[in-house]
Amino acid sequence: MKVEALQLNPEFQVEVKTTSGRGFTPEETAEMAADKIISISDEANPVIRDQAKAFRKHIVTVLAFYMRQAIKSDRTTVYNAIKDAGHLDLAELIRRL
Amino acid sequence: MAFSGNYMCTSFKKELLTATHNFSATGGSAFKLALYDNNASFDASTTDYTTTNEVTGTGYTAGGGALTNVEPTSSGTTAFTDFNDLTFSTATITARGALIYNSTAGTNSVVVLDFGSDKTSTAGDFTVVFPTADASNAIIRIA
Repeated sequence: MKVEALQLNPEFQVEVKTTSGRGFTPEETAEMAADKIISISDEANPVIRDQAKAFRKHIVTVLAFYMRQAIKSDRTTVYNAIKDAGHLDLAELIRRL
Repeated sequence: MAFSGNYMCTSFKKELLTATHNFSATGGSAFKLALYDNNASFDASTTDYTTTNEVTGTGYTAGGGALTNVEPTSSGTTAFTDFNDLTFSTATITARGALIYNSTAGTNSVVVLDFGSDKTSTAGDFTVVFPTADASNAIIRIA
C-alpha cells in the first residue's frame, strides 16, 4: 500500500516570526495562539466564515488581555524576589517597566 | 549551495518502518531543530545533523533548540503529528532554514525546512511557527 502523503506538500512553508530589540507583544503572541486554536478556510460558507473570524478576533482580545495580566503578575513576583535579595533600586526599575 | 525547498528526508521514511522514531508527547524521542545559513545544502538525501553552516550568535547554542512533541493522533483516515512553536529568546541570529533531527536516535534527520529568505532577530525573539496540528496542515501527516 502506498502512503500518498508521506512527503511535504510543495506549498508547505514554515513561518518564522522575529523581533529586534524587544520581545513579542501580548497581541502578537495572542495572534500566534489564536492560529493554533482556530483555522478558517477561505472556502467555508461565508456566514460561517464571518462568524469564525469574529470568534477569532474575540479570542485574540481575550488572550492578549490575560497575557498582559500574567506579565504584570510575573513582574510582581520578580520585583519581590529582587527586593528581597536587597536590590531595591533594580526592583523599582522592573516595577516601572 | 543553498536551501532549495522543504524536504521530508528519505532516511526518515525508511526509519519509520524500523520504529526508529517515536513522536509521543510523553516518553517519545527527543527532537531538536537546528538553524542554518544559506550555505547549507540540505535535501531529501540528508541523513544527519551537522554543525557545518549552522548559525552562530547570541541566544543560540550549537545543536539547536529542543522541540516539544504534539501527541500523534488521527482525523478521518489521516494520522498526524506536529511540534509546538520554538522560540530562541533574546537572540541575535540570521537563519535561512532549519533541520529537524532526532537526538535520541543519534542525530537522524527528519525534515528540512526552507524559510524562503533570511530571517533575522537582533536582541529579540526568533520563533519558528509550526502549522496547525490537524489533518490538513500538520508537519507530518500519513493519509
